Amino acid sequence: MNKEIVDDKTMKRTLTRITYEIIEKNKGNQNLVLIGIKTRGAYLAKRIKSRLYQLEDIEVPQYDLDVTNFRDDHPEMTNNEQPQFTSEDVNGKNVVLIDDVLYTGRTIRAALDAIMSIGRPSKISLAVLVDRGHRELPIRADYVGKNIPTSHKELIKVSMAEIDDEDKIEIITN
Amino acid sequence: MKRYLILEDGTVFCGDSVGSTTISTGELVVTNNIGGLEQTITDQTYNDQIIVFVSPLISTIGMNRDDYESIALSCKGVIFNSIPINQMDESNPKSLAHFLKKRRLPGITNVNIQRLAAHVKKHGAMKASIMDADDEHAIDQIRALVIPHDRVKTVSTKQPYPNPNVGFKIAVIDLGLKFSILRQLSIRKCDSIILPYNISAEDILELDPDAVLFTSGPGDPREIPETIATCQQLEGKLPIFGIGLGHLVVALANGAEIEQMSYGHHGSNIPTLEIATENIEFSNHNHNYTVAHTNVAQINFFITYRCVEDNTIEGLRHRSDPTMTVQFQPEAAPGTHDTLYIFDEFIEMINSFKQGNQL
Repeated sequence: MNKEIVDDKTMKRTLTRITYEIIEKNKGNQNLVLIGIKTRGAYLAKRIKSRLYQLEDIEVPQYDLDVTNFRDDHPEMTNNEQPQFTSEDVNGKNVVLIDDVLYTGRTIRAALDAIMSIGRPSKISLAVLVDRGHRELPIRADYVGKNIPTSHKELIKVSMAEIDDEDKIEIITN
Repeated sequence: MKRYLILEDGTVFCGDSVGSTTISTGELVVTNNIGGLEQTITDQTYNDQIIVFVSPLISTIGMNRDDYESIALSCKGVIFNSIPINQMDESNPKSLAHFLKKRRLPGITNVNIQRLAAHVKKHGAMKASIMDADDEHAIDQIRALVIPHDRVKTVSTKQPYPNPNVGFKIAVIDLGLKFSILRQLSIRKCDSIILPYNISAEDILELDPDAVLFTSGPGDPREIPETIATCQQLEGKLPIFGIGLGHLVVALANGAEIEQMSYGHHGSNIPTLEIATENIEFSNHNHNYTVAHTNVAQINFFITYRCVEDNTIEGLRHRSDPTMTVQFQPEAAPGTHDTLYIFDEFIEMINSFKQGNQL
């Protein structure tokens, strides 16, 4: 059973608020770098980048990140794609890592390893659209779009206009 | 009965009396609100002003008690192009004429509104008087009138009072409160307490609220230095939300400059652009002053909304403190419901401020 819990308007609002909060917590927006975790996190990062450009007239560097090689739950999967950024792009920078759903925290752990294997940012913060709880690692988000309490049996599905034709967040119960 | 609207520059408009037959003088404002007649007349922001409705025909169904925005209305008169004949009947308790008579508010209908609106647009806001006769004496009287400088003091509550609920505690600083602001807070379960405009920052902090809201109100924000000082002391300590006059108060507290507009924004058809998303939204505007563009780059704010027509600043947000303001009226009474979400943003701002404090 699919139940829509966030519609397109609310999703846009949430992203705008996250952008405001990123500006609030990063005075001057110096050294800001956005890294979106593929696939939906990358689109979220693009949208935040365009909002920052509208508001502050600054071009924030934004990269996509594939964490397949660093995952601990699917060791058989590999990806030969070269990372989009080099150590110069992140060294000493203020990185905002962006993902759609924060669940166990394992994806974020993999993303942190992926970034750290390339360079050494001065700070990494985490922005997520949905925090659904059930963390298995000591990870928390700095910018949370929506806190949606769920059970393990449920599934959160984020749809984005870029690939899914519409913006919505659904909760799927089997 | 014929009555006359006499403008400061000597221009005279003639029409038929509706409501009370008292003589009154005030600043002229032109609004294009079509719906929400009750909400416009009872809005305290129109304190000491004569409201001109440019809509061709207004108040076809009479007055609705559910839509009042204040208990005691404080505008000085209403001017219409035309109102239906049944609304001229004072014996009908739901008619506009009955309402105006009971509230001792003079009105004129069958006025050449197009000419009047064009005149105000061309020559800027001016004082005017509703009179029984058109003579030299009337103009002298208008010229002698001094626009009061304590409008906020007149409309603000004298005593604090609560609007209880179960959620966040909001200290609402009443600068000319519209009930719809409280209605929007109630919908979001806010436990609000309404405070007079001259309350000190210590007294507010003593109440231990979760956030502070500066409401909309009449007049020039520079006339209320005590509210500006309060705002300066609270900034950074609590989330702050400013609407209308409250927006100007917050801007002044942070060193921005204020300028007077020639005839202001009054009405519901003024498009605002939300800069982050490039969405165009419509909402009710009612302001004669605006934040000047001159030094807005130096103050610690970024612009979140601007008017598409004349590029005026309609919304600000602080770069590091939880402070957000809008010049227009997001509570939408009257007007479209496009911008009600701003109250949700306010609640989310309180949420993230509280979470930030815990970490």
